[in-house]
Amino acid sequence: MKKVIIGFLASVSALASNSQQVSNTDDYAEAAIGIGSYQGNLSLSYLHQWKLGARHKLGVGMGGRFTSYFGQNQYYTTAPAKLTSGSTGPLVIFKEDVVANIDTLLVQSPQVNALNAFINIDYTLSQKFTIGFNIDAIGFSFGGSKQANYINGSAGKITEGSPTGFNILLVSDNDRGSLNSELYVRYSLNEKWGLKAGGQFLFTEYTTTTKVQTFPEENDRFRNKSLLFCLGISYKLNPHQP
Amino acid sequence: MKTLSVLLLSALLACTKDNVTPTAPVSDVFDPTKATLLKQGTLMGIGHTASGQVSIYDDKGTKVILLDPYSSQSGPDLKVYLSKDINASEYINVGKLKSITGKQSYMVPGNPDISQYNYVHIWCEQFTVVFGRAEVK
Repeated sequence: MKKVIIGFLASVSALASNSQQVSNTDDYAEAAIGIGSYQGNLSLSYLHQWKLGARHKLGVGMGGRFTSYFGQNQYYTTAPAKLTSGSTGPLVIFKEDVVANIDTLLVQSPQVNALNAFINIDYTLSQKFTIGFNIDAIGFSFGGSKQANYINGSAGKITEGSPTGFNILLVSDNDRGSLNSELYVRYSLNEKWGLKAGGQFLFTEYTTTTKVQTFPEENDRFRNKSLLFCLGISYKLNPHQP
Repeated sequence: MKTLSVLLLSALLACTKDNVTPTAPVSDVFDPTKATLLKQGTLMGIGHTASGQVSIYDDKGTKVILLDPYSSQSGPDLKVYLSKDINASEYINVGKLKSITGKQSYMVPGNPDISQYNYVHIWCEQFTVVFGRAEVK
């Protein structure tokens, strides 16, 4: 019996050890900053990743990300696809902007906080380097009301706006709210820690207190698209040998 | 680390914007004796140095804002706004401020009913800051 128990424990230990070695999931906690002209952001995220393929080089995952964006005197433009592209279908991504429908909202000190679920895909290039892309899919935003200048040619209105509350990734200008995305390279410093660098493409959106745009139809949603340089640090929560 | 420092420095240097109002004096040719005076007021600085006389004329059907004399401190992206209320909640942008000193005229686009417009602002659009304001009566 003693031999059986020892054998069982040894088997469980071996299985656990083996399971650890061939584990096909990774969990990461990450922090990053995005830097741009008169704007920036801090993001904190958690990612659960499935490693696919015989050599586990391809990773697909999902997680949650908190992004806090801040800027100074940033220009937001008309957001709804119906106005910017003249339609809302999936082919809107191929349509030219309808310039006559696009007005500007200059926000003095934008500050938008967004909590979103995001999806991630990456590919392990070598033991040290991984390349990846992620994008926010759905969530919500919050932040204070800010003074803004609605500009329509020579006419304008001084108004106020707040971050659009609901965020969802659709197609092109059909998107709503504030959504972050990153194209990055991760360098593994050791089994647990890594550094990230890349580009961040961030949408933030404000809704004005009144429908300040009246032509060709009423609108209160304005979007800023920021391309930022991104630097971050990542921590693998379940380190193991590949 | 050196590369990181260079990248951060580059990002910070990219933050500079150059859109400052000219400082050379101007003297526009608008002749107020050939136009009808509609409204007039005195420009006062708001947290900034700005002073002068603001007049609105009807020049053969075209509305013209005349700043004469005019003087203010320099600033980025200064514009001349004509608004109905003191907060410029609805305004007409009549153009970029031509200079921080000298006689300057601005045509008001759209031929609005001037009786509804009571304020002229010197407005820093880039930073959403009012430099000076005149109540015109």
